[in-house]
Amino acid sequence: MVAPHGPHGERSDAVTSADSETRQRVDELIYESCLALNGGDWNSYLALCDPRDFRYRIVNFSPEIRREQCWMDRDWKGMKSIFDLLPKHNSDHSPLTRHATVYKIVCDREGGEAAATTLVAIYRTQLDGVNSHFESGQTSLFAVGKYEDRIRVGANGDAALLLSRTVRLDTRQIDIGSHYPF
Amino acid sequence: MNEPVVEEDSQVRGERDRGARNLELWSRPPQLPDTHYVDTRVYTDRSIFSEEIEQIFDRVWLPVCHESELPDAYDFRTSGVAGTKPIVMVRGPDRRIRTFLNVCPHRGNTIVRSPAGSLTKAEPSGNPKHMTCMFHGWQFDALGRCAEIPREEQGYQGRVCKTDVGLREIRTEVAHGGFVWVNLDDRCGPLAGHVAGAFDFMAQELDTEPLEIFHYQKAIIRTNYKLWHETSREFYHDYMHYHNRATGMLQKGYYDRKYTVFDNGHAATGLTTIAYDAYEGSKDRLLTFPGMPRNGWKQLNIFPACTYSLRTSCLRVSVMTPISERETLIEIRGLGLKSDTPGEREERIADHGTIWGPFGRNLHEDLLVVQNQAVAMREGSGSKYLIMAREENSTIHDEIGLRSYFAEWSRRMGRMASDPMP
Repeated sequence: MVAPHGPHGERSDAVTSADSETRQRVDELIYESCLALNGGDWNSYLALCDPRDFRYRIVNFSPEIRREQCWMDRDWKGMKSIFDLLPKHNSDHSPLTRHATVYKIVCDREGGEAAATTLVAIYRTQLDGVNSHFESGQTSLFAVGKYEDRIRVGANGDAALLLSRTVRLDTRQIDIGSHYPF
Repeated sequence: MNEPVVEEDSQVRGERDRGARNLELWSRPPQLPDTHYVDTRVYTDRSIFSEEIEQIFDRVWLPVCHESELPDAYDFRTSGVAGTKPIVMVRGPDRRIRTFLNVCPHRGNTIVRSPAGSLTKAEPSGNPKHMTCMFHGWQFDALGRCAEIPREEQGYQGRVCKTDVGLREIRTEVAHGGFVWVNLDDRCGPLAGHVAGAFDFMAQELDTEPLEIFHYQKAIIRTNYKLWHETSREFYHDYMHYHNRATGMLQKGYYDRKYTVFDNGHAATGLTTIAYDAYEGSKDRLLTFPGMPRNGWKQLNIFPACTYSLRTSCLRVSVMTPISERETLIEIRGLGLKSDTPGEREERIADHGTIWGPFGRNLHEDLLVVQNQAVAMREGSGSKYLIMAREENSTIHDEIGLRSYFAEWSRRMGRMASDPMP
């Protein structure tokens, strides 16, 4: 697992800033993942995730109970199950739009992994959640936070894959919640 | 050539074939006992809402937090109760939890602003172990006594003394799984009198060993508080949830599950078992609570705005704070056993999130529907009555849980919810 710094803040020799090629591959993977989710293209999203090791979590720190809490914890199969069940739920179908900016990428060259920190803002454009006559088409900020991704960069032209994504939310009130992962 | 338009007498048609109704027919009360329907103005009328606060919320016991949110002496937790009344719970040096109105008696400022923390850390203008109003530096100790008035003698010359200006203390009890309950009415009876034995069937699970909070979420939902509470008081809406209609409702014994109603408007659904092997990702449930079968489920609704739902590995407690007739703060807590190992806790958290988290499969649908009810019933929309008339020998699709709620509502408000305007 890639950590950008050692336990005392020092930078490990094995951990370096990403070169431009790696940075480009990581950027493309993260932005592709957002486009896939924004478009409701769940299969394309899953294709960007390692089917054996992928773990997806949504976490935040609650100052009310003074502890970190986890609101969702799924592996690849669990994510697929969520996507497969979407048509069977009575959901708010208001589209979510993820605006992401990759801020930091560090690499573990020996392990062939990268760790990326991406700030993300999630907007919701109303469709049928409240009062479609009054509100459909309105866009509001739904949540802000960051993606903490572990990525297998690979070599020899192998596709980069998400090994894990932790969505660390700053927003703790997310209205009626969502059937769609962030 | 156009055909001549013939106006159909819709009233005649409605009477004849029981089809769609014109306004007159739509506006007629249902031909049911007045205990079996309510006028929708109980959800939308501002004057009724204000009266509910005075007649109900200012007088009943309400849960406000869990004791594990303030585990150590001098820990505090702020909250609000009965509409917009700010309160602060403090664990004193004697480890007892007390509740105070979070309002400075000097100039009405909020005293403690953080959601939670420890008074052992001093505020910038105060001393440790005190609650300090940032405005003029008045300080109060963990027992609610005024401990400091800057330049007291120079300013008041004995006309205002610290002993005169302690905080307003609110009746507090800790019970039923370690929840902190408050009652704004100084003359109220004990909590046990209000719950009227409703917790007895969950006592072993809740009170054998200490519980601990692991999940907290809140949201201000655009709905009336009663509509949210009602989703927990009837299971007829299992049709809305995919897993419920595809698995739970098909299980043997589903329709035999019984409601029990208690004095003071509480209603419980007794132990049932869930076929979790039919739920993807939930096949190997191992954790439970003391005395609870591994696949058991119990639920208790406490009047007027709280639900305990104990489902195998996790306890969910939902508390509603009415803000206005159309806004409700909903707080949801998830709890496990304090003795959990890290692995056990992780399993409970995952189970809780799957169903009841903000990304879970059921919570989103429940919140979506109560928000849409509020849209459809808003004042002037033409909505008239809600029907609560299912009678199935108090079993799972009987609406006795709703009727018991409004029986207590009517007792406290002095009129029927089917004819609610004074």
